[in-house]
Amino acid sequence: MSDLGHDPTGNPDPLGNHEPTGDRDPKPTPPDNHDRGPNPAGVPASTPDHHRTSTLSRDRTRTLGRERLAGRISRFDRSHRVDRTLAHAITRVTGEALGPYQSAVIRIGFAATWLLFLLREFPHREELYGPDGPWSWDLAQQLIASNHAFTALMWADGQVWFGIVYAFAVLSSFLLMLGWRTRTMSVLFMVGVLSLQNRSIFMGDGGDNVIHLMAIYLVLTRCGQVWSLDERRERRARDACARGAWVGPDRAGPVLWTVLGLVLAAATLAGKIDGGFLGGWRTIYWGLWAVQGLWWLAGRYGRSVQPRILLDVVANLVHNAALFVIMAEACLIYATAGWYKIQGTRWQDGTAVYYPLHLDYFSPWPALSDLLSASGTLMLLVTYGTVIVQVAFPFTLFNRRVKNVLLAAMITEHAVIAVVLGLPFFSLAMIAADAVFLPTSFLRRVGGWAARARGRLFSRLGRTLRTVPRPRKEPERTPETAERAEPPHVGFTA
Amino acid sequence: MDAYDKGSNARPVPGEPAAAVPVPDSSPPDGHETADDHKTSDGHETSDSPGQKLSGEAPARIPQQYGDPQRDDQRYDGRYDDEQYVDTALAGPPLPPPTGIAALSLPYQIAAALALAVVAVAACVHVGMVFLHVAPSNTVTKQHGQAIDEWIYPEFEQNWKLFAPNPLQQNIAVQVRADVRAADGEIRTTRWYDLSALDGAAIDGNLLPSHTQQNELRRAWDFFVATHDNANRPNGLRGSLSEKYLRRIVVLRLDREQAGGRGAVVQQVQVRSRTSNVPPPKWSQEQVSDKPIVRVLPWWPVSEADRAAGTRPAESTGTEASAR
Repeated sequence: MSDLGHDPTGNPDPLGNHEPTGDRDPKPTPPDNHDRGPNPAGVPASTPDHHRTSTLSRDRTRTLGRERLAGRISRFDRSHRVDRTLAHAITRVTGEALGPYQSAVIRIGFAATWLLFLLREFPHREELYGPDGPWSWDLAQQLIASNHAFTALMWADGQVWFGIVYAFAVLSSFLLMLGWRTRTMSVLFMVGVLSLQNRSIFMGDGGDNVIHLMAIYLVLTRCGQVWSLDERRERRARDACARGAWVGPDRAGPVLWTVLGLVLAAATLAGKIDGGFLGGWRTIYWGLWAVQGLWWLAGRYGRSVQPRILLDVVANLVHNAALFVIMAEACLIYATAGWYKIQGTRWQDGTAVYYPLHLDYFSPWPALSDLLSASGTLMLLVTYGTVIVQVAFPFTLFNRRVKNVLLAAMITEHAVIAVVLGLPFFSLAMIAADAVFLPTSFLRRVGGWAARARGRLFSRLGRTLRTVPRPRKEPERTPETAERAEPPHVGFTA
Repeated sequence: MDAYDKGSNARPVPGEPAAAVPVPDSSPPDGHETADDHKTSDGHETSDSPGQKLSGEAPARIPQQYGDPQRDDQRYDGRYDDEQYVDTALAGPPLPPPTGIAALSLPYQIAAALALAVVAVAACVHVGMVFLHVAPSNTVTKQHGQAIDEWIYPEFEQNWKLFAPNPLQQNIAVQVRADVRAADGEIRTTRWYDLSALDGAAIDGNLLPSHTQQNELRRAWDFFVATHDNANRPNGLRGSLSEKYLRRIVVLRLDREQAGGRGAVVQQVQVRSRTSNVPPPKWSQEQVSDKPIVRVLPWWPVSEADRAAGTRPAESTGTEASAR
C-alpha cells in the first residue's frame, strides 16, 4: 500500500494529491485507455508504465486478466465511467491514508522547526512567554478573556508551571519528530504550540502562524505511517509474529492514555479548559481521548472485524481530508501572498525586494544585502520571479513537472530568505509546508540516504564502542525494501 | 490499503535471507515478478506491477502467514482485517479483496458513508472559510463576516500579506528616555535610547535572531500604532493593553541598559518613534525625503505593574541592578 502514488487506473486523484505519483512517464501510452472496460470499484488496471517494463509472462498475465475482466463487465455501459471514477475515488479515500511520506515529512518538519525554535529561545523563554515577561500574565489574561484562545499557560501564573509547560512543549515536539506514539504526541504537540503562542501572540511572525495552523491539522493526519518509531515497533511486532514469537500486549499505550485521561479530568474539574461552541476545546480533547480508547477496545475485544474496519475507514477519511486542507492551506498562503503583491506598485516597478533588504530588522548581513541589491536588473528578476512563482504555484499542481520546478524554486528562495532576511524559523516552517508537495519517489530516495547514513553512523559507533553488532540486518532500510517492510497502518494504540 | 502489497511482503525477496519470512509456500504464482516489481527499467520504484494487480486471478494469492489461527490471539494492529475478511466472506471468486468502504457490511457502510459526507463537508467548509478570511473584502464577507470570524478566530487567524501589496519602505526606530531617581536620590532625565538600533545591532551577523530582538519591540509598536489615534488615545481594551505592553518593554530595556547609572530607578518614561525612508536604490532616479518623521508620546509614569521581575524595583534604590 505504501506507494499510493501509483494510482493504478490513472484516474484523477480526488484529493488533488499529486505528489504521490512516482516520476512516471507523463505521456500515457494510448492503448491502455480503450481496452479497459469499466472496473468494479477498486479493481486496478495497468498503467502505461508497464509497457516499458513488462516481461513476456507479465504481458500474458495481463492480457489474460483483462480479457476476463472485460468479459465479466462488458454488460456495463460506458457511461458508467463517472460512477466508476467516483467509486474508485471513494474506495481510495476510505481505503488508505494517502501520502504517507508527505505526511511524515511535514510531521518531522514542523516538529523539528518548533523544537529548534524552543531550544534557540531557551535563554529568552521568560521574556517571550514567562509570567513576568513584557506581555505579562495579567495582560495575557485580559486579552484571552476576550478572544478565548486556548493556552495551558494561563492555568497558573507561577514560574514552576511555566517551566513545566515549556519542557512539555520541548518534549512533545521531540517525540512527535521521532514518531513515538504519534497519535498522542500530535495532540500534545498542538497543546504545546497553542499554549506558548497564544500566551504571547505579539511575539510571533509568519513562521509561528504556519506552525500554529499545521499543529492543529497534524492532529487529524496519520502522520506516523513511515519514518517513525511507531512504524518500527509495528514492524518488529509483526516480524516476531511471523517468527511465531509471542508478542506481549502493549503497555505504554494504555498507561499514557490513562495518565492523560487523569490530567484531562483534573483540568476539566478545575474548570481550566474553556467550553464554547459545542463544548469547544473540552469536547475536542475528550473526544480525541475517547477515540483512542475506542480504537484500543475495538482492536482488543471486538467480536467482529467490522468495527475495526469502520474505525480504520473513518481514520483514513479524516487523514485524507486533513491532508487536503494542509495542501489547500499552503496554496492559500502562496495565493494570497502573490495576488496581493501583484497589486503593489513596488512589485510592479521591480524594486520591491530591495526594500526589505534595507530594513534594519531584516538585514543581518548589510554587506550581502548591498551586494544583492547592487544590480537593478537582478532585483527586477527576483521581484518578478517571486510574484510569478507565488501566483502560479497553486495552478501548477495540475502538472507534475512544472510543479516540481516551482517547488524547487520556492524552497530555494526560502532557504535564501532564512539567511539574507534573518528569518530562519519562518523559512524552515515554510519549507516544511512546501514539503507536503514533494514527490514520493524523491522523499523515498532521501529516506534511503538518511537510513544509510544512519546505518553507517551506527556501525561506526558500534565499532568504536566495540559492542556486539545488532542481529538485524541493514538492507531492509533501503528504499526498495523499506517499502516492503512498511506497515499499512501505524498502531493506533491507545 | 492494498492487500496485494501485503502479500508481496510475505514473498521471499532475493537478497533477503529467507529466515525473515518463514513461509516458504507463501510465494504466489506471480512470485516471478518479485525481482523487478519494485523497480522499473528507469530506476523508479513502482509497486503496481500488472501481475500483482491482476493477481486476483490467482487463487493462491491470500498470504498464508495470516491464515495462522493463533494470530487471532495477538494484539490487533490493523493489518489483518482484509485478509480475515477475505478468508470468510470472499473465499470463492478470486476478486481482489475490497478495501476501505467496500470491505464493510451494509450497516457499517452507511455509517462510513455518513462519515464521508461529514468529513467532506467539514473540510470544504473549512477551506472555504479560510479562503474568505484571507480574501479581500467582498460581497460574501460583507454579508457573512460574523460567521466567518467566528469560525476563524482565534485559532485559524492568518495573514499572508507578507510585504504586500507593498513592502515596508521605512525604518521605524522606537526610542525612549526616562526620568530616573539615581542612587543618590537625585532625579535625572536620561538621554534617548534607540531601542530599535540596539535590536538591529543584535541581529547583525546573527544567523539565528531571537524573536525578542526581531519581533518584540517591532510588533509592540505596530500594535500600539494600530490601536491608537493620532492624538495617542487608545481605542478600547486592546489600546490600553498595547500601552501597558510597550511600557513594560521599554522599562525592561532601559534597566538592561542601566539607564541613569547603576542603582537608578525609572520613574517615568517617554517614547518616540523616528520614521525614516529607506533611501531609494542607487540605480533608481527616485527621490524621497530623507527627513525623518518623529512621533512623540507623552510622558508615562511607571508603576510597579510596569516592572518585570528582574527590573529594578522602586523601593530598593541602591541595590544591585539585575539587568537580565
